[in-house]
Amino acid sequence: MLIKTTQLEKRVETSEGPLQILHPIDLQINAGDSVAVVGASGSGKSTLLSLLAGLDLASAGRVEIDGEDLQQLDEEQRAKVRADKIGFIFQSFLLVPSLTALENVMLPAELAGNSEARQQAKQMLDSVGLGERAHHYPNQLSGGEQQRVAIARAFIGKPKILFADEPTGNLDAKTGEKIEQLLFQLNQQQGTTLIVVTHDNKLAQRCSRKLTMAAGRLTEEQ
Amino acid sequence: MWARISLRLLRQELKRGELTVMALAIVLSVTAVLSLSVFSDRLQQGLMNRSSEFLAADRVLSSRREIPQQWLDKAQSMQLSVAWKVMFNSMAYAKQQLQLVDIKAVSKGYPLRGQLKIAQQPFAEGQATTKLPETGHAWVDSRLLQSLQLTIGDRIELGRSSFIISQVLSYEPDVGFSVFTDSPNVLIRRSDLAATGLIQPGSRVRYNLLLSGSEQNLADYYQWLKPKLNGDTYRWRSVEDGDSPLARSLRRAEQFMLLASLLGVILAATAVAVAAQRYCQRNYDVVAILKTLGAGTSTIRKIFIFHLLMLTLLSIAIGWLLGWAIQAAVIHYVAQQLGETLPNAGWQPYALAATTGFVSAVMFTLYPLLRLLTIPPLRVLRRNLSSSLTARWLQWLFCGGTIYFLLVIYSQQWWLSTALFAGGGVAVAILLLISRGFIRLSRQAGMQAGSAWRLAMAGLQRRASSNSVQMLSFATAIMLLLLVIALRNELLNDWQRQLPADAPNYFAVNVAADDVQNMQQRFAEQDVETTDFYPVVPGRLTHINDIVLVDEASKEGPEKQPQQEVREGVGRELSLTWRETLPPNNEVVDGAWWQPNANPQVSVETRIAERLKIALGDQLTFDIGGEVFSVPVTSIRDADWNSLQPNFYMIFNPQTLADFSTSYITSFYLPAARKNELYSLLKPYPEVSLIDLDAIVAQLREVVAQVSLAIIYVLVLVIIAGALVLVAQVQASMEERQKELVILRTLGAPGTLLRRSVSYEFLIMGAISGLIASIAMDLSLALLQTQVFGMDAIWHWRFWLIGPLAGAIVVALLGRLSCQQLLRKNTAELIRHWV
Repeated sequence: MLIKTTQLEKRVETSEGPLQILHPIDLQINAGDSVAVVGASGSGKSTLLSLLAGLDLASAGRVEIDGEDLQQLDEEQRAKVRADKIGFIFQSFLLVPSLTALENVMLPAELAGNSEARQQAKQMLDSVGLGERAHHYPNQLSGGEQQRVAIARAFIGKPKILFADEPTGNLDAKTGEKIEQLLFQLNQQQGTTLIVVTHDNKLAQRCSRKLTMAAGRLTEEQ
Repeated sequence: MWARISLRLLRQELKRGELTVMALAIVLSVTAVLSLSVFSDRLQQGLMNRSSEFLAADRVLSSRREIPQQWLDKAQSMQLSVAWKVMFNSMAYAKQQLQLVDIKAVSKGYPLRGQLKIAQQPFAEGQATTKLPETGHAWVDSRLLQSLQLTIGDRIELGRSSFIISQVLSYEPDVGFSVFTDSPNVLIRRSDLAATGLIQPGSRVRYNLLLSGSEQNLADYYQWLKPKLNGDTYRWRSVEDGDSPLARSLRRAEQFMLLASLLGVILAATAVAVAAQRYCQRNYDVVAILKTLGAGTSTIRKIFIFHLLMLTLLSIAIGWLLGWAIQAAVIHYVAQQLGETLPNAGWQPYALAATTGFVSAVMFTLYPLLRLLTIPPLRVLRRNLSSSLTARWLQWLFCGGTIYFLLVIYSQQWWLSTALFAGGGVAVAILLLISRGFIRLSRQAGMQAGSAWRLAMAGLQRRASSNSVQMLSFATAIMLLLLVIALRNELLNDWQRQLPADAPNYFAVNVAADDVQNMQQRFAEQDVETTDFYPVVPGRLTHINDIVLVDEASKEGPEKQPQQEVREGVGRELSLTWRETLPPNNEVVDGAWWQPNANPQVSVETRIAERLKIALGDQLTFDIGGEVFSVPVTSIRDADWNSLQPNFYMIFNPQTLADFSTSYITSFYLPAARKNELYSLLKPYPEVSLIDLDAIVAQLREVVAQVSLAIIYVLVLVIIAGALVLVAQVQASMEERQKELVILRTLGAPGTLLRRSVSYEFLIMGAISGLIASIAMDLSLALLQTQVFGMDAIWHWRFWLIGPLAGAIVVALLGRLSCQQLLRKNTAELIRHWV
C-alpha cells in the first residue's frame, strides 16, 4: 500500500463558522495505480491532493505515504518526503521564470543532491522532445512546451507518486492530448503511481481508477 | 548545491534585467553616498584650508606670555609645521614723524596657510610671495607709506633698530577685520626683534605659535598640550572657533552637506525597500515551487540570502566605482572652475558608502525576505496564498531602525537624528492618511469625469493601499527635492545678501568730524557710495556694576580696593559710537532700542555681553580720556559680523557721548577698475587711514562660489535619486498593470484610452504627491530654518503651486515612459508575457 488515508478530514474556520471541506475519507492506493479524481469546481479535489502530497495538514485523520504518517512530520520532514517520493505537474505549469528549461528540470535533482543532474535533465528533456529548446526560458515556450518541461521536471527524480493537478486544463484539446500521452507513457516506463485531478473525462477514462468528489465526499466508480 | 542554484538564479535574473531596479537602487545609494561624502569631505577640507588662511595656520596658540620653545620643538617632532608670530604695538619713526604701528615679527615658514602679497607701490595689486623680509628690512602696509609720506627704499626706525622699507604689504592672509585697533602693519623677521629692544617686561605683546598639519597630528598635539595650558593665559584657536568671518558660512555649508547626505540616504533606502519588496513578491512562486519539489527551509534560506548577498556586494562594488568616477569628475570640474586642487579624502567615505549600501540592502530586504521564506508550498495549488507572516510592525521596526541607525552614523548627533526621525515618523503617518483621503476623494470626483479619467481614478482606487505607499515615496522624493532647492536658495540668498556685488571693499577710518560732510559730498560727486558715517570715541570699559575689570596679562586696571571682586576685561580700548537708530544688520535680542532724547544708556553686542557676563540692566562704567561715567545696559544686540559694515560692541544713545571729541569711520565700494582714483579721492584728507578689504571679500566670494557649486551637485544627485525611486515604484506596479491591460485590451478598450488613463493616473498621483510634498516641505523647512540654521522661517507659497505641477509632470512623464513598453505591446504579446 503506497498511499493510505484514515478518516481524513479538512475543516476551515470562516466568519460564518466552521466549514467542512472534506468529510472523513478512507482511501487506499497501491503502487502502480493510476487514479483520477474528478468533480465540480470547489468540490474539494485540490484540497484532497494537497493533503495527500503533504502540502497542507488535515484537520483530523491521517495520511500515510509509503508507511510514513504525514501528520506526524514537520514541514522539513514533509519536504524530504516530497523530494524523495513525489513529483508534481500543475495546471499553470509553475516553472521558475528566471531559469531555462534545462535548469528547471535540473532543480529537483539538484535539491536531492544528485551530481548528475545536468546530464539527467538533458535526457529527460530529450525524452519529452524538447532537447533543442533546453536553453529557452519559460516565457519563450508555448503552453504545451512548458507543460512538457514540467513533466520532465516531475519525472527526473523517478518519483514513486506523481500528482497532477489539471495537467491539460490550460491547453487546447490537441496539445492536451499530446501531454496526456506523454504523461501516461512516462508513467508506464517508470512504474509511477499517478494521481490526477481533472475535469477532463477522457483523461479520467485512461486511469485505472476513477474517484468522484462531490461536496467534500469521495466516492469511487467501480 | 544551494550556492549553485542561488548563483544561477542571480545570473539569469541579472541577465534578464529582473534585478536591475534592486541593483540600481543599491548602486545608487552607494554612488550617492560615496560621491557626496567624498566630495563634501574634500570640499570641507578645501574650505578649511582656505579658511585656515585667515589664521595663516590650521591652529594658533596665542598668549600674552612668551611660549616655551620646547612646545614648538614638540610640535615639530609630531610632524607639524610651525612658525612664530609675535605682535605688538609700537611707534615707528621716519622723516621726523611718529606713527603708531602694529609690528608683526615672524619666523621662517610664516604664513603656514595662504600667501603674502607684496608690491612696489602703495594700494597696488600685489604679487604672491613665499619669501619674508630680509634681515634689516621691513615690509609695510600702504597706509604707513600714505600717512608718513614714505616710499620704497626709505628707512623707518623701530626702537633701537633701523629698517629699510623694501616692499609694500598688499595682502596678509591673517589681517582680520579689526578695523579700529589696527594701526598700519609692519612685517619684520623675528630674529631682528631682540635688537629693537622694544620688548620689555610688561610690554603688551601677543605671542603666537602657528601650527599646521594633519587633523590627527593636530589633535594629538593638542592632547599633549592641553594639560599644560592655563586657560587664562593661553588661547587655542582654529578657524571654526567663530572668530573668523567665514566660520558661520562654513558651519552652514557643513550642516547643509550633512543634511543632504541624510536626505540622500533616506531616498536611497526608499528605493532599496521598494525594489526589495517587488523582488521578494516576484519570488513567492519560486519559493513555493522549491518547497513543493522538496527543498527544506534552510536550503531556501541559504539560496536567497546568498543570492541577495551576491547582488548587494556586486552593486556596492559598482557603486564604489561610479561614485569614485563622479566625484573625480566633479573635483576636476571644481579645480578647473575655481583653480583649486581639493585634498584627497580618506577611506571613511568608502566605508560609509559600503555600510550604507549593505545595511540598507539587508535591513530593507529583511521583512520581505522573511515573508518570502514563509510562503507555504500550498501556494502551488492556491495561487492567492501568501505568507503567514503578517507582522507589518516588524517591517516598520527594521526600516525605521535602519534609517535611525544611518542617521546617527551620518550626523553623529543623537539629537538631530532623533528629531529628524521623530519628525519623519509623524510626517509618514500623516502623509499616509492624507494620500488615502485624496485617493478616496479622487475616486468620487472621477465618477463624473470622462472615461479615461474614470479609468485612471478607478486604477488609483483599486491599488489604494500600494498607491498610498507609492504616493508617500513620490511625496518624499518631491519633498526632498523642494527642500534642497528651497534651502539652497535660502542659503545662497543669505550669503549673497552679506556679499552683494557692491559690498564695501574699503574702510576709511579716522575721518575728522569737520570733514564728514565734505567727504560725503565728494564721494557722492565721484559716484562712490559710502555706508553711514559712524562716530568713534576710544574708551575703556572699567567696571561692570561694581566689579573691576582687569587685563589678563598685566593684571593692570583701575586702582582696586583689597578684596574687591575683579573680572577679566576686554584687554584693550574699545571703539565706542553713538546713534539714534539701530544700525542695519543689527537686531535687538533683549531689551529695547532707545527713544529719542532718552537718558544716557548703552546697547551691548551679544558676544561681548556673553564674554564679559553683561546682562540687561547692568551698570557699565567707561573711562574716556580720564572722564569716567556710568550708564545702564538697556539692550543686547546681535551684530552681523559677516557683513562688511562697521560693527560696534558698544553703542550709546547720542545724549551720552555727544560732547566727546570724535573721529568718524565709514566703508565704501570702489570697483577694481577705479582703484587708481583712490589717491585723488582721499588726497584732501591726509589724516584718513584706508583699509583695503578687497582681498578678503574676494576670498569670501570664492568660498561662497565653491559651496554653491557643491549645493548644485547635491541637488543633481537628489534629483537622480528621486527619479530612480519613482521608476522603482512604477516598476513595482508593472505586473499588476499588465494584468489589467490584458483584461481591458481583451474587452476591446482602444489604445488611446489606455494610454491616456495611464498618464492620468500618474498625473493625479504626481499632483497629489506634489501638493502633500509642498506642505510637508514648508513645515520641515520652517523647522530646519529656525532650529538648525538659525534663520527666520519664511513660507514658500509659490512652491505650493510648483510642487503639484512639477510632481504631476515629472511623475506622469516617468510613469508613462516606464509603461511605454507595456503600452506598445499587442494583446497576444501581453497575454504570453503575463502567463
